[in-house]
Amino acid sequence: MSALLAGLMILMIGDSHMVSSGYLITTLHNDLTEEGATVDTYGMCGANAGDWVYKTTVSCGEAERHGKKPPVINRQPRAIGWTFDSLVAANHPNLVVVEMGDTMAGYGQHDFPRAWIYEQVRTLTQRIQAHHLQCVWVGPPWGSEGSSYHKTFARVREMSDFLAKSVSPCLFIDSTQFSSPGAWPTIDGQHLTASGYRMWGKDIADAIDRLASQGAIKK
Amino acid sequence: MSRWKNRIAMPSLPRLAAMLGLCAGLGLAAAPGAGAAGGRLYPSGPPHGVAYLRFANLTMHQAKVASAAAELTLPTDDPHRAGQYDPVTPGSELAGSVVLDGKSKPIDLKLTPNEFMTIVITAGTDGGPAITPLHETPTDFNAQKSSIVLYNLDQGCKAAKLVAGPQNVAVISGVAPDALGRRLVNPVNVSLAVACGDAAPAVPVKLGQMAAGERYSVFLFNRSGAGRQALAVRDEMAPFRP
Repeated sequence: MSALLAGLMILMIGDSHMVSSGYLITTLHNDLTEEGATVDTYGMCGANAGDWVYKTTVSCGEAERHGKKPPVINRQPRAIGWTFDSLVAANHPNLVVVEMGDTMAGYGQHDFPRAWIYEQVRTLTQRIQAHHLQCVWVGPPWGSEGSSYHKTFARVREMSDFLAKSVSPCLFIDSTQFSSPGAWPTIDGQHLTASGYRMWGKDIADAIDRLASQGAIKK
Repeated sequence: MSRWKNRIAMPSLPRLAAMLGLCAGLGLAAAPGAGAAGGRLYPSGPPHGVAYLRFANLTMHQAKVASAAAELTLPTDDPHRAGQYDPVTPGSELAGSVVLDGKSKPIDLKLTPNEFMTIVITAGTDGGPAITPLHETPTDFNAQKSSIVLYNLDQGCKAAKLVAGPQNVAVISGVAPDALGRRLVNPVNVSLAVACGDAAPAVPVKLGQMAAGERYSVFLFNRSGAGRQALAVRDEMAPFRP
C-alpha cells in the first residue's frame, strides 16, 4: 500500500457501473482508498451527466459508499436523486471523479447524439468549475457487442473520442486504452464481470496515480 | 433560463415542440425498474435523437411565433433578439406561424438529428415577416475552444467576412447571403467586426471575453433606414432530459 493519493478528498459519481457491489463502487473505491485518499462514492443507475445538476428521478437504483464502510445500495426508484451541489456541500472534496458515458452514447441509434451529449457534459463540468474543483472524467469501457444494450465498439470509440474533446476542464481517462475490444467479458453487453471490474478499477486508479505524480492532480 | 419559460405554461423540455403543435412521437422514454430481467435498464441517450430550434427577431418590432397551442413573443432588445436553442424531436412536423405588425407567415419545419436551425425574422417588403431558415449540423463541439458562426442576412453583402483585431485578420470569410460560416477559435477577448469587401466600413460587434467551450453567433443584417448592422450573442441550449 502506498500513500500516493494521501490528502485527496475524492467525490466519485457515476452511473450503473457504480451501483452494484463488486462494481467500481467496490473495486475503484477500494483502490483509491488504499492509495491514501478519502473517498465518497455515489452512483445513480441510468443517470446522464445533467441528472447530477437538475434534480431527477432515479429509476433503477442508487448506491453510496463512504470511506471504508461497505456500499449502501437501494434498488427502489426514488423521486429525486442526489445533486452535485448537495454532494459537494456534504463531502467537501478536492477532487471529483466522474464515471459516465454509456448512458449517453446513443447505443442502438443511427445518429450519435453529439449536441445533446455536449450539453449534458457541459452542464456538469460547469457546476464542477463553479465550485473550483479539479476533476477527472472516466469514459466507458469497450463492453461487448450483440447485447440488448446495442453497444458497439465503433460507438464506444466515437463516444470516447468525443468525451476527450468535451470534458475540459476535467482531465479525461480513456478506458478503451486499458484493454482491447471485447477483452473484458460482460454479463449483459455493458456491465463487466467481477474480474473485469477489478481490472477496470485498478487501471483507473493507476491512471489517477500517474496524474497525481505528474502534478496534474494537486493535493 | 429562457425568457420564454415564464410566458408559456409548459415544461421546458419539449415546450417549443409542443408550442408548434407537436404532440405525438416525442416518445420520452421511461426506464423500467431494476427488476426488468433480460432487458435494458435504461435508454442510452435520447431515444429519438435531438435537434435544436431557435428564433431570432432582427426587426424593429416585437414578433410572435404562434401555434394552436401557444404563442411566444420575440422581443427587440439586442440581448434577447435571439432565443435559446430548444430541443425538438427530429423528423416531427413543426407547424405554426410568425406574426409581425399584424401580418402572418406560416412555418412548417422538420429537422434532422443533431440539426441546429435558426429561424431569422426580418421585415418583409410587404410589412410582414420575412422568414429565413438557417440550418447546420455542427460537429465542432470542443470544450477547449470557442465556436463562432457568422450568419449573413444582408442581401447586399455578397461575401460577408468576420475580421478580428486592428489588422482585420479574417476569421470567417466568403459567407453568401442567407448562408453561414463557422469556425473554432481560441477563447480570447478580441475586437471583432463584420465586413463585406465593399466601400462600407466594417460593422463592429461586441462579444467580449469568449469562454472555452462556449458557442457564439454573429448576425449581419440590413435594416431599412438603419443600414448595415450586426448582432452578436452567446448561444444557449435548453436542457433536454430523455
